[in-house]
Amino acid sequence: MQNKGQLSRRQILAAAGFIGLATLTGCGSGEDGGDSKDLSKKQNGAMKEYRAGQQFKAAKPLSFSLLHNNNPVYPTKSDWLFWKEVTKRTGITLKPVDVPLADYEKKRSVLIGAGDAPFLIPKTYHPSEVAFVSSGAILPVSEYVHLMPNFRAKVEKWKLEPELDSIRQSDGKYYLLPGLHEKAKSGYSLSFRTDILEKHGLSLPTTWDEVYDVLKALKQEYPDKYPWTDRWSGNTPFPCGALFSYLGQAYGVKSGWTYTNVTFDSKAKKFVFNGATDSYRQMIEYLRKLVAEKLLDPESFTQQDDQALQKLLAEKSYVISANPQVLVQEYRYNLQKQVKGSKIEMVPVPLGPAGPVILGGTRLENGIMISSKALESDTFVAMMQFVDWLWYSDEGQVFCKWGVEGVTYTESGGKYRLKPGISLMGSDPDAPKDLQKNYGFFNGVFTYGGSWTLVSSNFSPDEQKFQDAMTQRSELPIDPAHPLQSVEQEQATLWDTPLRDHVTQNTLKFVLGKRPLSEWDDYVTELKAKNMDQLVDLHNKAYERFKKENG
Amino acid sequence: MVKPSRSYRVFQGVNGVILTLVVVVTLYPFLNIIARSFSGERQIRAGEVTLWPQGFNLTTYKIVFQDSMFWRNYGNTVLYTVVATAVAMVLTTCYAYVLSKKHLRGRSTLVGIAVFTMFFTGGLIPNYVLITSLGIKNSVWAIALPNAISVFNLLVMKAFFESLPSELEEAAQIDGLSTYGILLKIVLPLSKAVVATMVLFYSVSFWNSWFSAFLYMDRTDLMPVTVYLRNLIQGATGGSNAGAGTEQLSQVGANIQAVTIVLTALPILCVYPFVQRYFVSGVMLGAVKG
Repeated sequence: MQNKGQLSRRQILAAAGFIGLATLTGCGSGEDGGDSKDLSKKQNGAMKEYRAGQQFKAAKPLSFSLLHNNNPVYPTKSDWLFWKEVTKRTGITLKPVDVPLADYEKKRSVLIGAGDAPFLIPKTYHPSEVAFVSSGAILPVSEYVHLMPNFRAKVEKWKLEPELDSIRQSDGKYYLLPGLHEKAKSGYSLSFRTDILEKHGLSLPTTWDEVYDVLKALKQEYPDKYPWTDRWSGNTPFPCGALFSYLGQAYGVKSGWTYTNVTFDSKAKKFVFNGATDSYRQMIEYLRKLVAEKLLDPESFTQQDDQALQKLLAEKSYVISANPQVLVQEYRYNLQKQVKGSKIEMVPVPLGPAGPVILGGTRLENGIMISSKALESDTFVAMMQFVDWLWYSDEGQVFCKWGVEGVTYTESGGKYRLKPGISLMGSDPDAPKDLQKNYGFFNGVFTYGGSWTLVSSNFSPDEQKFQDAMTQRSELPIDPAHPLQSVEQEQATLWDTPLRDHVTQNTLKFVLGKRPLSEWDDYVTELKAKNMDQLVDLHNKAYERFKKENG
Repeated sequence: MVKPSRSYRVFQGVNGVILTLVVVVTLYPFLNIIARSFSGERQIRAGEVTLWPQGFNLTTYKIVFQDSMFWRNYGNTVLYTVVATAVAMVLTTCYAYVLSKKHLRGRSTLVGIAVFTMFFTGGLIPNYVLITSLGIKNSVWAIALPNAISVFNLLVMKAFFESLPSELEEAAQIDGLSTYGILLKIVLPLSKAVVATMVLFYSVSFWNSWFSAFLYMDRTDLMPVTVYLRNLIQGATGGSNAGAGTEQLSQVGANIQAVTIVLTALPILCVYPFVQRYFVSGVMLGAVKG
């Protein structure tokens, strides 16, 4: 039943063909839009003087269509306080087009391809906006951020200009209004059964060498078990995506979920091939050691999350990757029911050769695309001001997250407390109401990013501890802007995927011992045969060009 | 009656064993799903559930039943299935009957037009644009009309009609029946088998379909239950499981898939036994003669 709705190859071809066609026609019409810069006729409902920190209120009632991701955990209701309060405060009525979360991307593509997209298209993750750029269907929003004082204020205050550069296209513009974070938020790390560690006089590790020692000690106590089994291998081209990602971070490379083929070498001042760097190799060597000494379950790289969880709950292993949510909801909650006296804790990401760093570029979140059609409307300016207020102003962000003061929450000294009788993500199991389900706040479509005070305002004690430790670390510089032109982009895509597959496959082969690390040079030669050097050159050329053209 | 030979009886025995095994293998997943839908969360996570529910409870059923959107979408599914099947049956029958007449000029062209759509489609986006421009988005017609004629069903029906003796129709003509009279009073009553089969084929496919509704409906209260369940399963198993944590919801996460599969499959499963006698003879008839 599941497969029935997947796009057939034929449908994809047809869609691709149509998008291609739309590109041709789209380009033609885009060029002569000479008055697109002239916004004087698009002031309908806009505020004359709209500044950062000011409440936006449309001069007359307007409504805007919005693609709305319908999350099954809090299904959309038309009587949410959120919708009413938005209208009350801003005079804007949002008209959501509900799309089930499970197939959000698919419907988004169809709607944009058919020219039928709502004005506001939130919940878009970079780089998925790139596919729509050449069609001209979405707005180069960077041209219009002067209408958005709160957005600009935050970019300036939190020094996000380099991050924004990283999402610019070859024309120097960006097409996505990303969520902005004051500080990078880390998500994943290792968790340990602390009661077991205490029993054997071990302490929580802080470096990867200590992780090895702890695992080794556990192995001596339980010789027939793998001390560590891992998860997040399903639905991802890079198995153990979380583990590789935070282990790679300790070695200063992008790996796992964050893997990219090219990465900037800040010493050599040029792009290099990520999967062939020395640091990448060292990371593999470390994991190989763990697997070879039977400290890490080799099934980690193939099993489903449920199987990993079952091994943890059945005490077949004691160490597993975690994020603050699954730590509480899946591990601790289930362990307490099944294993008496069990305790489990998450550690800040252990340190490696790269020192106390976190990967850069994580301060941008998913964001909003705006349909090009919005620009034709005379309410365009009002809409941009509204987007700026709702998604980027402090008041708008607090409102989206916590709701209405005195109704859903109370605030004192930067601490937000829900009113009695309202629960958030199971915070009060007996509460009759839920902030997300009944009121429509804390909705992933509107709530992300913001100041660290706001972001951390709903952290659990575990998460607070973890994030406090992680925010002490310095952020690695992000890759400088190097947008490809569309012909180059096509070429790069052709080279990119085979290379990425080869890296992933061989990473696993090396780690599992199916290929000895002595064959590393052969592996690099194979990458060269798959156009590794050409791909890197292409990106370096783009980097030089962008530097020359944009300073 | 001739006594069956020894080797034949051995063959029968072996056959029986093998077929029983096949039955077990086919039925096991169903029984397992049903058992899971009534089982406790811990038992499912620990992989203890096989054929009989362990840690019997109904929490997930309660949660799904309490959701008014579930019933609304269930109602939509029934409505869409009934309307779409009715439309499809009328159109397919008319088309097939016309095509079964050998003296019809341009018959092969008409067949060609139908068969062409088996191999080529306009594609996703053009279809979407078409439906939108026709103004039938967000209505039952967006589901009923584009899928009204399934070419496979059309050809089966055409073959069936061709197999009816033309003398019958000639006799009816002599007795003064019009063309429509012949179709309604003579041909259709004789074609109960194939009609029942087609109704079954169409209704099962409309019941299970979710993609066209997902594509052409913009509001949650217009979605069929298949979309509701698909979204629920994704939400319960996906990474963005932001709502779990309480005892209740964690129970839901564990067996939601089983509960939803049981709930969607059950009604259509119940239809099968009643239609099956037509079903077998119907498909066979068309197939052999055609």
